[in-house]
Amino acid sequence: MKRKIALVFVAAMAASILAGCGGTDGESAAKKDSGKKVVLTFGTHQSGIPSCGVVQELAEKYEEETGIKIDFQISPDAQWRDLLKVKLDSAEAPDIYCVDSDVLSLYSRIRPDDNAVDLSGEEYVDRMADYAKECVTYDGKVYGIRFAEPKINFYNYNKKIFSDLNLEPPTTYEELKEVCQTIQDAGITPIFEATQSSWHQAVPLCVTGAYYESKDPGLYDALNDNKKDIKDVDTMLTVLKQMNEFAELGFYGEDYLSNTAESDKTEMGEGRVAMTIASQGFGAIVAENYPEMEGQIGIFQIPFGDSDVLGLNPSSAAYFVNSKGEHVEEALDFFRFLARPENLQYRQDNNPEEMGLCWPEIEPEYPEEITEYINSLKQGTVLQVGVKYIDPQFMDIGKDIEAMYTGALTPEQVMENISNRRIEQAKLQKDKAWE
Amino acid sequence: MKANKIYPTWFALGALVFYVVLFFLPGIMGIGYSFTDWNAYSLDVNIVGFENYKNIFQANSNYSIFIKNTFVFTLVSSITKTTLGVALALLLTNKKVWGKNVHRMLVFLPQVMSFLIIGLVFKNLFHPSRGFINVTLRMIGFDFLAQNWLGDLSFAFKSVLVVDAWKGTGYVMMVVIAGLNAISPTYYEAASIDGARFFEKFRYVTFPLLKPVLVSVTVLNITYGFRVFDLIYSLTNGGPGNATGVINTAVYSEFSKGNYAMGTTLSSLLFLFIMSISYFILRVMNKGGEVEQ
Repeated sequence: MKRKIALVFVAAMAASILAGCGGTDGESAAKKDSGKKVVLTFGTHQSGIPSCGVVQELAEKYEEETGIKIDFQISPDAQWRDLLKVKLDSAEAPDIYCVDSDVLSLYSRIRPDDNAVDLSGEEYVDRMADYAKECVTYDGKVYGIRFAEPKINFYNYNKKIFSDLNLEPPTTYEELKEVCQTIQDAGITPIFEATQSSWHQAVPLCVTGAYYESKDPGLYDALNDNKKDIKDVDTMLTVLKQMNEFAELGFYGEDYLSNTAESDKTEMGEGRVAMTIASQGFGAIVAENYPEMEGQIGIFQIPFGDSDVLGLNPSSAAYFVNSKGEHVEEALDFFRFLARPENLQYRQDNNPEEMGLCWPEIEPEYPEEITEYINSLKQGTVLQVGVKYIDPQFMDIGKDIEAMYTGALTPEQVMENISNRRIEQAKLQKDKAWE
Repeated sequence: MKANKIYPTWFALGALVFYVVLFFLPGIMGIGYSFTDWNAYSLDVNIVGFENYKNIFQANSNYSIFIKNTFVFTLVSSITKTTLGVALALLLTNKKVWGKNVHRMLVFLPQVMSFLIIGLVFKNLFHPSRGFINVTLRMIGFDFLAQNWLGDLSFAFKSVLVVDAWKGTGYVMMVVIAGLNAISPTYYEAASIDGARFFEKFRYVTFPLLKPVLVSVTVLNITYGFRVFDLIYSLTNGGPGNATGVINTAVYSEFSKGNYAMGTTLSSLLFLFIMSISYFILRVMNKGGEVEQ
């Protein structure tokens, strides 16, 4: 008798388990989860989303509307690229992930055909600017959504410090050196550097790539076709040596080996440093926390190597839906929400970092002074976007530069390492030009 | 012992299957992959022989720095933690010491903290201008002692070792205390009657009877030292440059670059190092047979 009762119980339990397996094919993921709150995980690096919190605000609005919560998982810039790759490889990546993407690096960073959902059929894709679409396209399919315009890095400088010391924004390396010396003599750190963030110190070297190309037209093609070795680019070596000279002269201050990039706003806002590398919207962000700095931060082009060409970086943080994620439908719905015209406008209005978006329907808000200055300069593409196998090693270049600053590597050895890593990546990716 | 009191062999079968499937096979597969060109960009996996191993030992590779750092870290960290752990265990089993349990808890406390949190906390403590350590040193007039602890090539690795010792000593101390408490007091009484002093008691009673505990502690310290990753990753990320990079930070970097074969090659080397050194230590420290109580 007991065995019969036990059998009945087991049968009932099995039936109850199987009952949960039913359902029509067309049911949406949200419906299947009905009664259980859906939480979308959103992984990003610190600089992947605006620090003012506008994306989080939009996520809250989305939660109010749909009940779907977005859980932001923000990692330090220096760790995110590696971390994301490891997470993608182990199928543990968040539902939505953010990564800097451009034509050359998209595949090596996320292998979109395997790890991202194809967004080509979405309505909003055609509303994005073409250059932005190109950066998130692989094999003819659009995989990401992005919002920012091309990144441009300048030296942002404290106008008050400059005027107190009778300084003008420099246009050549020697002028920059003199300016730094004067500022240092006045007891102020001339340039904010933050090697703990790894990418920060690699920016001047790679931004100046636009100048290397303008001095030697066809250089990028020659490097991409493996007709020239990057370690033989003399102007690049010169820039490295100049950066090293600045470290030796103490122009980066005493703490630069312990600094992280995020403290640039505090350091500039409190007037402890006179210059830092950042985009043109940096002054507005500083002024949010330091109102006395309103209008006090200007920009000038990075003049290492006597560069007179502004490096444009069409690459920018883009969001992708994890094709192996649990909530693909909900993630796609969140993208549609972000792409609504009123939400795009909200994003621009509430984010001092982005004065313009890569959505032509939204009118940019640049001050005329900045637009005029940018238009007055010759422009080109930064090294990591124009030359293959630079972007995947961007952090390694930063670490090598840090090693150079500490005296562990010479500028020539840094160049040698960059070249070796390019060869390694090319071989891994079975690049025909390297066969 | 009666035969029916012994558990039958098949009782271990479940654990054995788990061990083989989850540990043994992946280990063997990993070694196998180290002889291939397995990477994230291609589905084809081709045999390349010892190519990856050759690359590691090339003259201009950074891997030799990582291997050297791993050995130095393991050696110094094991010696420091064992010495300090034994000294603190002797101190905190001494009857004359007041509040022994409180002291033991305080020394053991860092052990329960996550490496990532410790890394973040010490990063702030070590900051050259705003960190607690340098601020305190300057406040009490020892400006000349204030250093760039994590940014200076001469101090970065030493600073990492200090943090590791701070975290790990408590564990060694607790294990040694357990070992000391297991030694019968009659040996010490007999030694006292024979006129033995502190160091003689330690040398002829404590040390021989503590040997099995010390063997375990040393093997644990060495295997930990070779596998170290999270402390270094959170504290210096292998920097400045590659000055504090170890084998596992390189493994992580290779995997993230998509060069899986090189990652498994480095892991296989690590496996080889740990196996051979642990075996050697067990042989040497167990030489002379068990000490009978």
